[in-house]
Amino acid sequence: MRNDIELDAIIEDYLRGKLTAAEAEAFDKLRANDPVIDHKVVAHKVFMDAIKQYGKVLSLKEQMDRAHAGIDVAALSEELRPHPSFIINMWRKNKSAMAIAASFILLTIFSIYSIQHNTLQNGSYEVMRREITNIKNSQNKLVRTINSSPKTEKGHVRSAQFGGTGFALTANGYLCTNYHVVRDADSVYVQNNKGDSYKVKVVYRDPQYDIAILKIIDESFTPLSAIPYKLKKNSIGMGENVYTLGYPKDDAVLGEGYISSKTGHVGDTTQYQVSIPINPGNSGGPLLDNYGNIIGVITAKENQVDGATFAIKSKYILEALNAIPQDSLGKKVVFAKKNPLQGLNRTKQIDKIENYVYMIKVYN
Amino acid sequence: MVSNKLSDSVPTDREVVLGILNNSEDALNKLYVGYFPMILQFIINNNGDEDDAKDVYQEAIIILYNKIKSGDFELSSKLKTYIYSVCRRIWLKKLAQQSKKTNNVSDFEDVVSVEVDLEYHEEKDLQFEKMGSALENLGEPCKTIIQDFYINNLSMQDICEKFGYTNTDNAKTQKYKCLQRLKKLFFQS
Repeated sequence: MRNDIELDAIIEDYLRGKLTAAEAEAFDKLRANDPVIDHKVVAHKVFMDAIKQYGKVLSLKEQMDRAHAGIDVAALSEELRPHPSFIINMWRKNKSAMAIAASFILLTIFSIYSIQHNTLQNGSYEVMRREITNIKNSQNKLVRTINSSPKTEKGHVRSAQFGGTGFALTANGYLCTNYHVVRDADSVYVQNNKGDSYKVKVVYRDPQYDIAILKIIDESFTPLSAIPYKLKKNSIGMGENVYTLGYPKDDAVLGEGYISSKTGHVGDTTQYQVSIPINPGNSGGPLLDNYGNIIGVITAKENQVDGATFAIKSKYILEALNAIPQDSLGKKVVFAKKNPLQGLNRTKQIDKIENYVYMIKVYN
Repeated sequence: MVSNKLSDSVPTDREVVLGILNNSEDALNKLYVGYFPMILQFIINNNGDEDDAKDVYQEAIIILYNKIKSGDFELSSKLKTYIYSVCRRIWLKKLAQQSKKTNNVSDFEDVVSVEVDLEYHEEKDLQFEKMGSALENLGEPCKTIIQDFYINNLSMQDICEKFGYTNTDNAKTQKYKCLQRLKKLFFQS
């Protein structure tokens, strides 16, 4: 009995590592030689581990019980109890899934919105651009920059800076052209289809309607024979065939088309829109209908729209003429009831008209 | 609302692991208070009551505690997920034992596999139960002497004084007798 107690104490000290190195070595030897003692050691180790673990768990439980006492379980369980409402249960169970779904929907909405928003912006940008180009268009008058060779010049050292077209209004040398053709001019010359050049003076400017009246003041100028065409007083209908004669190059060029709108640029009622091929240098050219009546003055074209040319309506030419003293005009063009060109074919008409259409050469 | 509470009071996973390794009572308390509502919600929404929740939850904390203490603990998932998964597994087992239906469980969190940890725990738990009943059957004063010596780490001298033995040899003899009976109870049950 006493031995057993001693042995037990030694085993315990052995397992707790309380033996000295020499004692432990001796005990190891004893253990190896005596299976009974070895068994006792193993069993005691299992027991000690178990009771240690038991103690640990017990104290852990005590600690957790203390922590548990601090929790208001009743209130919590009231809050977390299965809710009678199906929807709230659904929400609780699928919180994360719903959150993901919701964020996905939100993301989708935002993406779609931003895509649409972008489209909108593009659209308005498009419009803006058109407006900008429109402004540019209105600047883009059909003045031709002449790189003219000296041979077209008669007595002028310098070549002309800008060119346009003009046409005779009276036999004594009053011409009509665009205001923008002669706007910045120091001196202006006109040249007829035979190549004769005359000095002219700008006698009337109308920036609003873009009309200018010129007077040939050259000594060498001999009065013309009677003007073959007439000004048309009434406005002309859509679809009417029209043509123009102009100087986009050094020789007269015929352009043919039709009235495509009764209003001009952004609904300008002082102009027609004409579908007619036009180039720089056509500005100020006469626009004639099939019967040889002047119905307008070619002014400008729209850059971005194909075949959109604008012409000032003929009645504004007359308004300009009225501003000039009657005496100096001599026999002026009138609104014709009967036109001498009427009934002639296009070639004959042009043959008669071309002597009265001038190239305008501007120096500044 | 519940999740707000959780995130407010729960320490970080790292704090918990370090706290338990360093025997910090505070870390364990925070851990316990922090995740209890999650488990309570799970249990009472799956045929359980508050006491079931407490039992299951404490078991899960013990498993986590032992796992961390064993030293080879690797954080392969969030503690929250781990605790939830352990509780879920324990509770499903209990429901099966009570032959209540276990299909259609209402889940509130993600779940990771904890089978290995649970098997290991069940062994330990069996030992715990055995030791508990053995100690109960041992009766006083043996139970207290054994507990004082092996759990509360009192010396034989302390025990001798506490129980009024005339000398430590008497105390040692008494302890020896108690221990022999307890071992018998423990290993034979």
